[in-house]
Amino acid sequence: MSRTQSRRIQALALAVTAVLLAGACGTDDNGSTSASGNTKVKIGVIPIVDVAPIYLGLKQGFFTAEGLDVTLETAQGGAAIVPGVVSGQYQFGFSNTTSLLLAESKGLPLKVVSSGVASTGAPGKDFGAVVVKDGSPIKTAADLAGKRVAVNTLKNINTTTINKVVRDAGADPSTIKYVELAFPDIVPAIAKGDVDAGQLVEPFLTIATGQGDRQVVSNYAGTDPDLTVAMYFTSQDYAKKDPEAVAGFTAAMARSMEYATSHPDEARAALNTYTKIDRKVQQELILPRWPAAIDRDSVQLLADLAKQDGLITEQPDLETLLP
Amino acid sequence: MNISELPRRALVALGLPAVLIVLWWFLSANSTSFFWPPLSSIVEAFPRTWTADPILHDVLPSLARLAAGYLTALVAGVAAGTAIGSSRTLRALTEPALEFLRAVPPPVLIPVIALFAGYTGWTAKVIAIALGCVWPILLNTVEGVRSLDEVLRDTARSYRFGRAATLWHVVLRGSSPLIATGARQALSIGVILMVISELFGANRGLGAAIVQFQRGFAIPQMWTGIVLLGLLGVTLSGLFRLVEHRHLAWYRGLRQAERGV
Repeated sequence: MSRTQSRRIQALALAVTAVLLAGACGTDDNGSTSASGNTKVKIGVIPIVDVAPIYLGLKQGFFTAEGLDVTLETAQGGAAIVPGVVSGQYQFGFSNTTSLLLAESKGLPLKVVSSGVASTGAPGKDFGAVVVKDGSPIKTAADLAGKRVAVNTLKNINTTTINKVVRDAGADPSTIKYVELAFPDIVPAIAKGDVDAGQLVEPFLTIATGQGDRQVVSNYAGTDPDLTVAMYFTSQDYAKKDPEAVAGFTAAMARSMEYATSHPDEARAALNTYTKIDRKVQQELILPRWPAAIDRDSVQLLADLAKQDGLITEQPDLETLLP
Repeated sequence: MNISELPRRALVALGLPAVLIVLWWFLSANSTSFFWPPLSSIVEAFPRTWTADPILHDVLPSLARLAAGYLTALVAGVAAGTAIGSSRTLRALTEPALEFLRAVPPPVLIPVIALFAGYTGWTAKVIAIALGCVWPILLNTVEGVRSLDEVLRDTARSYRFGRAATLWHVVLRGSSPLIATGARQALSIGVILMVISELFGANRGLGAAIVQFQRGFAIPQMWTGIVLLGLLGVTLSGLFRLVEHRHLAWYRGLRQAERGV
């Protein structure tokens, strides 16, 4: 290679780098106004049964009625959605309660604006439970002590609630060996015997029991029959900047939850719009409860459990976090 | 290289990192962003985060899995590469299959490997690392063995070298510069796969620890993990250079003689 050639290549490489760097610093359109005069908002959600009401509410026009022009974006989980909301990529997000408590205790400026999903309160008929292989010696929550249990995230709502029901059953949960696996992988891991038990939520719970797995304990209902499992939230900045949009979101969300509760068949059908799910499973799965109100006591309980398990060192400030 | 050059070389090697660290320190000093904490708070969190327990239960197991997977890939890659490189028929037969397998990214295979090797143990993770590392080693070995000078082989034959001696002194020696190139590429792939394999069905390990810090919003700790990964990468690459320097001294001499330096 001649000297001029290598100079050219260097210049080209520099130019490419510059373009890449420029592209990496994109801009956010946070809550601008659309052509129709509505406020544009992006909402980060997780593609699970829990968020069916928001899809129904969009279809019913509850959000447009509040002057909101909504775009839904799906993400992996609360850990990905929280940074998105804090940085202004999303105006609103959906996350489980424990993640929000962790974020609050670390000083992230979040504000809850609506309840998200709650336990049905009926043990054995809840949307989340710990399951084992048919024929497993594990019969009760107390038998989980010392076993390998798969959860979708370590040190989060599922571990703290399983620990709670095991403790309430009179066993020592500190001996449980938790393994982190994604929900779709937990079912085959139980079948193979890689783990002794696994915590699943719908639709995976119905898929697993359809393959002969057996429910051991409903960790949400067993923790608190009114457990607020997840909530919708925004950043404190956005709540100050656009209180009207926040109030509109809260109102539209309340109507959506109410509608989903009174039209369960439509809630089931809404699953088709954002997940690929077997028809039979869709008809059989247990829907969660969608109460419009947040159960403050259950949020406090989750905070206490997080502190007890050492996920947080100090009590989060629920006054700041909750509406 | 003579002794008087050493300080200058050290300056050149450490100059850019030092400038970058100083830049990072001052540019992030007044950062109020939760996810981009000042470097000072990352440095301050480092000793608190990586105490004896995480080093023993996260870092060392990760490195052990990396070593096991990488060495497996090295042995398998060199063995298979030598066989394929030495035989025209074998090369023609295996080429399409190798290209196919090489095109499948190992991260995609991790869940599949787990189905066979178990979700939670070491096996699946070591296999994933080995599968990712083996390709550059294998393909470079094939290339190295193929491009051996025929005269060398003939010379070995006329000196009545045995099979083993020819393999060791002529074939492996002669292709070692290319094998080293493949092994260096494989090392960086190995570090990446060490982290990725722990994002799946793990509860301890360096990769798993970084993800858990991120999920618990322990952001300075998450950055210490990323910095630690970088430091490990630099250390491993330094070790590799040391080994390579010793074993390829003859090759450097040859190259210099050819260039007439």
